[in-house]
Amino acid sequence: MNSETKSRILDLHRRNTLLNTPAPSLMVTGAMDFGADERYAPIDERMIATAAEALEAGQTHYVDVPGIGPLRAAIADYLRTAFNGQYQQANVIVTAGIQESRFLTLQMIGDSVERVAVPEVVHPGVKKALGVRPLQVETMAVDAQGLPPIAEIRKALEAGNRLLFLESPSRLTGAAYSAESVAAIAEAAAQFEAVIIWDQGLAPWAEGYVSLAAKAPGQTVAIGEAFPGMGLASWFIGYIAAPEQWIASMQSQKQIMAICTSTAAQYAALEASKLAAESHASQLPRLNAARQALIAALGTTEVIPGATASVVALRLSAGKKQQVLKELQDAGYNAADGADFGMEDVLRLTISQDSTALLAVANVIKGA
Amino acid sequence: MANPAKTGTNLLYALIAQARGYSDAIIMGRGDPDFDTPPHIVEAAKRAMVEHHADAVPAEGLLALRQAIAERVKRVNQIDVDPATEVVVTNGGQEALMLMVLAALAPGDAIIIPEPNYNTYHDALKFARVEKIGIPSTAATNFRTDPAAVRAALTDKTRALLLVSPNNPTASVIQRADLEALIALAHERDLIIIADDIYDLFIYDDYQHISPASLPGGKARTLTLNALSKSFSMTGWRLGWIVGPADLMARVRELKAAITGGTSVISQYAGLAALTGPQEPVQMMADAYKRRRKIVMDALDEMGIKYGVPQGGQFVFADISFTGMDSAELAEKILTDQHVLVYPGAAFDKERGQYIRMTFLQPEDKLQEGLERMRVAMKNIMGTH
Repeated sequence: MNSETKSRILDLHRRNTLLNTPAPSLMVTGAMDFGADERYAPIDERMIATAAEALEAGQTHYVDVPGIGPLRAAIADYLRTAFNGQYQQANVIVTAGIQESRFLTLQMIGDSVERVAVPEVVHPGVKKALGVRPLQVETMAVDAQGLPPIAEIRKALEAGNRLLFLESPSRLTGAAYSAESVAAIAEAAAQFEAVIIWDQGLAPWAEGYVSLAAKAPGQTVAIGEAFPGMGLASWFIGYIAAPEQWIASMQSQKQIMAICTSTAAQYAALEASKLAAESHASQLPRLNAARQALIAALGTTEVIPGATASVVALRLSAGKKQQVLKELQDAGYNAADGADFGMEDVLRLTISQDSTALLAVANVIKGA
Repeated sequence: MANPAKTGTNLLYALIAQARGYSDAIIMGRGDPDFDTPPHIVEAAKRAMVEHHADAVPAEGLLALRQAIAERVKRVNQIDVDPATEVVVTNGGQEALMLMVLAALAPGDAIIIPEPNYNTYHDALKFARVEKIGIPSTAATNFRTDPAAVRAALTDKTRALLLVSPNNPTASVIQRADLEALIALAHERDLIIIADDIYDLFIYDDYQHISPASLPGGKARTLTLNALSKSFSMTGWRLGWIVGPADLMARVRELKAAITGGTSVISQYAGLAALTGPQEPVQMMADAYKRRRKIVMDALDEMGIKYGVPQGGQFVFADISFTGMDSAELAEKILTDQHVLVYPGAAFDKERGQYIRMTFLQPEDKLQEGLERMRVAMKNIMGTH
């Protein structure tokens, strides 16, 4: 069928480079997949039991748009305990995963300030969310670890940007801002009365982590997955935690987009909230050990320093990277291409606790 | 940022919040069926929690579910789609609606919308910065959308036509002759059709639901949404879909990846069980709605309230112009006086302030009580107004 209307809209979409940014898959497809955002994590049977009981009790209907009260309270409590964030239940929206958190924050806060500054190196989901509806987007240059230095953040603020998006830890490299840097960002945000969307989804795997939510609660909109590492990645559940004045517009948009988040996922996450602290404490050393074993096995391959146990980012020349990607693919493995994040010379491996597979990957990379 | 005003969707949520304050409230406003999700679907979800909790899910949804959706739309709607390229699973009908608007239209475009219509369409169009061209309808014609009125309303910027049948909130069903005329018009003026089939299993009397994409020439220019919320009483699972031509669906997929990234794996397995398992629960619910519809119509007749006879759906759109009150004010008074929640027509369309929407999503005894309370409320209101 010839349709000028269709051709025109399809052409507009094709030219939307932000929307069409390639992105890694969310969840690993098997033991040889190191390219997805999330590794396999077993689920505690108590989470299944809680979700099943809720469904059997008739929790199969719409629930409140921002989430069931107990889960919102549990997330606020988690953010206070783990990150010293100043949040209460009213500050929290339960989302259908991290991508909805990105979309709601960028689009709805962005709508009120009309422009947003994002790092040159950022998860592709950020670019995709920005591509849904036109918004003026400016970029901040990054350092060797993929984080915008304080000087770049100040530059963006001085240029008139009042909304910044930052990842700490970086979704690509795992590098996180130090306590001093977080304090400096907080000071700059306060000085310019700016809002910072702060993606802290990888924070549970970063030792010594400092959240901007602790230093600049009035300026920070924190986002992340709800209780990562608890086996809920494919259930799509995340959070937004923000000062109350920002909640209304995002909640309103969430109502328009999805009404609420799946009840089964919410009840499973509620149980996860009770188990996460203990689980994270046991997972973190195992992930760190697996990561260190991988780095040792990689030999002289340059590893970008990062504080996060769940990812390893390798710096490779452009030609070497393509060769490594091909040989990994030929051997049945998968890694995330840093080019999708904005860093051409980087490969990202998501750490699993399967040391055999990790060492096999290291051998392929070394041999390439 | 200021709190949004109490209009449209926010007005409805303000009334819901007020109703929650009454322990004896009877909800005849919200479109949430009183039936729980059928047990076999809950069982399937529980199995999925054990066996599939970490399955990788592509943004467009699990292939097995897309295949089941393709079979469903072929069987029920006579739409042929390729599950590989022409189906995208969504977080309910609401996300589907947003995705269709964003996929088919660009900022500055205009779309024809029969009015009144589901308030979220207005919100989605506002978000997409798309102009709405409303085609008014009234209870006198059972809220028929006249193709001649659509033709007269077209502008150079019009790129799409929204067809919701049965309509929400009016419960009108688009008749075949009108649908054929509207599709012919879409061909003539090169419009994309956005079709909302969410109430397609709830049709009354001798009316027939026809999907625009099933008619000759319809599929190539039509995006069709549906969801399991109403048909299987699965509102809390957030599971819906869009089907359409592969080229437009590729854009839907990219937008889905950008907005939510995917749909809960547990809800997808529950949806698979719904579509491939026993269909008797749907018939049981449809039969119940048929009985309840009569109860509501009888009560409205007794109260002397005019309405469009519901041809489908799960609600009645009733004309309260005789009260001389705006529907928002009336709904608030009925709620405050008798703790019965009905939705004001003004929330669906600001020009429809003389209507209220009443759902029949309560058990019959509760529905009877709600209607009796409403009769008392109307008497009180008319006595003091």
